[in-house]
Amino acid sequence: MIGVLRSLGVTWSTMFRKPVTIQYPTEHRKVPERDRAFPILLWDFDVDESFCTGCHACERACPVECMTVTMKDNPKHAEGVSKRRKILDEFYIDYGRCMRCNICVEVCNFDAIAMNNTWVGHELSTVDRQDLVMDRDQLLALSKTRQIRAWVPE
Amino acid sequence: MPHEDQLQVEHELETIDLNINIGPQHPATHGVFRMVIEVDGEVVTDVVPHIGYMHRGGEKLSENMDYRQAIGYQDRTEYLSQFNAELCYVLAVEKLAPALAPPERAQYIRIILAELNRISSHFMFLGAFGTDLGVFGTSFVYAFRERENLLDLFEEVTGDRLMYAYFRPGGVAWDVPANFKSRVEWVCEQALIGASDMDRLLTDNEIFIARTRGIGILSAEDAIDYGVTGPMLRASGVRQDLRKDEPYAIYDRFDFDIPIGTNGDCYDRYLVRLQEIRESVKIVRQALEQLPDGPILPERMPRLLRPSAGEVYMRCEDPRGEYGIYLISKGTTQPYRLRMRSPSFCNLSALRQMTIGHYVADAVTILGSTDIVLCSVDR
Amino acid sequence: MTLLWGIFGIDMNVWLDAFLRLQIVVIVMTVTVMGLIYLERKFVGRIQMRLGPMRTGPFGTLQSIADALKLLTKEDVRPATADFWLFELAPYVTFVPVFMTLLALPFMEGWFVRDLQLGLFYIVAISGVTVIGYLMAGWASDNKYALLGAVRSAAQLISYEIPLILGVLAVSMVAGSLNLNDITRQQDTIPNLLLQPLPFMILLIAILAELSRRPFDIPIGESELVGGPWVEYSGIRWSIIFALTEYAGLWGFSILGALVFLGGWQFPFGTSSFWGDFDFLYQLVLVFTKSFFIILTMMWISATFPRLRIDQLMAFCWKVLLPFGFLQVLVNGIVLTYADDETVRDVLLFLTSGALLVVMTYAIYLATRQPSREERVGSMIAARSAQ
Repeated sequence: MIGVLRSLGVTWSTMFRKPVTIQYPTEHRKVPERDRAFPILLWDFDVDESFCTGCHACERACPVECMTVTMKDNPKHAEGVSKRRKILDEFYIDYGRCMRCNICVEVCNFDAIAMNNTWVGHELSTVDRQDLVMDRDQLLALSKTRQIRAWVPE
Repeated sequence: MPHEDQLQVEHELETIDLNINIGPQHPATHGVFRMVIEVDGEVVTDVVPHIGYMHRGGEKLSENMDYRQAIGYQDRTEYLSQFNAELCYVLAVEKLAPALAPPERAQYIRIILAELNRISSHFMFLGAFGTDLGVFGTSFVYAFRERENLLDLFEEVTGDRLMYAYFRPGGVAWDVPANFKSRVEWVCEQALIGASDMDRLLTDNEIFIARTRGIGILSAEDAIDYGVTGPMLRASGVRQDLRKDEPYAIYDRFDFDIPIGTNGDCYDRYLVRLQEIRESVKIVRQALEQLPDGPILPERMPRLLRPSAGEVYMRCEDPRGEYGIYLISKGTTQPYRLRMRSPSFCNLSALRQMTIGHYVADAVTILGSTDIVLCSVDR
Repeated sequence: MTLLWGIFGIDMNVWLDAFLRLQIVVIVMTVTVMGLIYLERKFVGRIQMRLGPMRTGPFGTLQSIADALKLLTKEDVRPATADFWLFELAPYVTFVPVFMTLLALPFMEGWFVRDLQLGLFYIVAISGVTVIGYLMAGWASDNKYALLGAVRSAAQLISYEIPLILGVLAVSMVAGSLNLNDITRQQDTIPNLLLQPLPFMILLIAILAELSRRPFDIPIGESELVGGPWVEYSGIRWSIIFALTEYAGLWGFSILGALVFLGGWQFPFGTSSFWGDFDFLYQLVLVFTKSFFIILTMMWISATFPRLRIDQLMAFCWKVLLPFGFLQVLVNGIVLTYADDETVRDVLLFLTSGALLVVMTYAIYLATRQPSREERVGSMIAARSAQ
């Protein structure tokens, strides 16, 4: 009988502790700085173009082959504004396939891709699976509006 | 058989044994697992497990990846003890590539994270075991509260709550944040409080004892014959722990006990895992004290890793048993063959032996006490 | 309420009177059931350190209504090979007897649907009919899980009726009547809990088992035979069992426990002239508060314990509760026959019943005694590897 009473005592004592749950859609837990949601591209505000030059390093390194990249000659380089000879043309990432392993961020030579560490990156549900294929503008959107504080490992 | 003396079954009536299918979709089977039980009244006479629902070809897929990309598959195979699986894998690769000896700081970080993962895996077991026995949700919620602390810590270190891909052959991918020591110390305290909550809730509870003591007994000889390892083997009385018998990584620098059971029933397995949480906290605290500063990867990391040709079998003490990686390399960037020896698969093979002669309700209890991870059984 | 009928000068036809009272009980029962479901979710949430329903309505108070609406709009699924009439009627066969037990309960002094001289006997007898509903559901579902669950629950429910009967029988011996009004009226100085603590414990355990609540919910074992005999039911039919029957039964039996053991509307000052015309309000509040405590205790027990296996459950009933129940009845008979003085009788009843309670607790302790904690756990910690 003692053990039974002891169990009742435990549940009695936990009745008076603070609840550990929060109400999700109205309150959000703070995500840490290194949180990895899905990859996004970064925007270079000095030259007003993307950091990404379309060099295919991340595309080759991706384990699940979820990226498609093309590059083109950079018109800004011809004008002398930018140092990048080639620039990103098209960039597709299939978020439905991405396994968020961070390898693309590690291999990137230009620190042009980073993992989204905001809540927006986690709240991505769509109705149609095709909507999960993100194109270049969607990937650059967060960085262009300065809403990202992306963390890139050393 | 345990209940023969209590049952006097009169076989004057012709009866047929009932086949019950505890099917792939079931709240109690810990994953997608199917058991077909033959029942005579309430007593189980035969158990046939059907597995393979979660087979995704992880071993074959790893042959198309290079060594860094294949880390992700280790996480997804052992989804409750990811760091232990990753540790085994990177240790296997480092055996074939001796130039990649990990620096001291990386070794300590690996051990700390692996032991914290052991704690979180055992909490998952405690929660799910209580639920299998019928505690409405109380044990589950207590266990998950502790797991949340651990998962938050892992998210601060690696960026992800469950699929880390953090270890690399040669060390770890990036360094831990600045407040690592204080965070880990806090998490250890909370884990001990949580373990004592679960202890007081379940260990002395007469109903719990009546449900688990004497159920699913696996003798030491049978356990060794079936290839059972880990807490199940230790609960049957065999002193076998790879961290003590073949110390890998830097386990020989720490002082800890290994709990051994006496009867080999479900109650002993529960007690062994509960005590292992406390032992892991000891290891983590010692490692935290000894944690040196320094680099986390060797000086010259090659861009693409090419270990020397050869084969190696590396085994580690996973929370479920012996997790092994058998790696054949032909000197290229991709493994030629990567075979994962899954502890849950071998532990599950003893299910029939343990369940025959018990009641149907006990079958669920016994399955819960083997603490299987279906993705590991099926890879 | 006879008050109100009197004020309005209405002289009612007996059938109309009964019908109106029945409607009031139905409405109160429905509201109470919804409140109890909400209460359980919040209370269990509190035990588990979480919030419980919060979003539907202020602090989730409209959650039960939302659940009821959802269940009403669900598709009505029936297995093609199920026995049609048995399948359809089983939930009602389970629910109606539970509802009928509410007819004999006096919620205030003089307010009841019908004042039955054999009130206690009627309640216990009628609540035994629910077993047939469980068996009907299990058989008609054409499903092995359901059959297993139905067979288990039939064994359990029939067995645990006997401790239920013995618990209330002991009290009715003390009161000398089976009429619930009389039993309650006799408790104006001491509640029967003090005179008969052992039957109270037996009654609490038997109620948990009759309602198939944890720790006795092996028939509807949530994590093994999901749902037991009711596994094929969906929508509003499912909610008739799990919501209505269980919570209406919980409420009804708690009121019975409050009336019979805790003093009902009589103790402490139920019929004193202090309250004037509003004594009915005080009595109502008293009865509901007492039953509330019993309900909370049962919810607390349900949220904490693992479930007992069927053989352990049956052993507990037949080997522990039954002998002690009979012993209590025997001792009551002896004391009541030979104790002439009121006070002597009360003291003797208290002492004997308390002693039996202690003996029963000790018997349970002896039966479930395990090696002490040090022996169990100590052997583990001391082991180190050979190195």
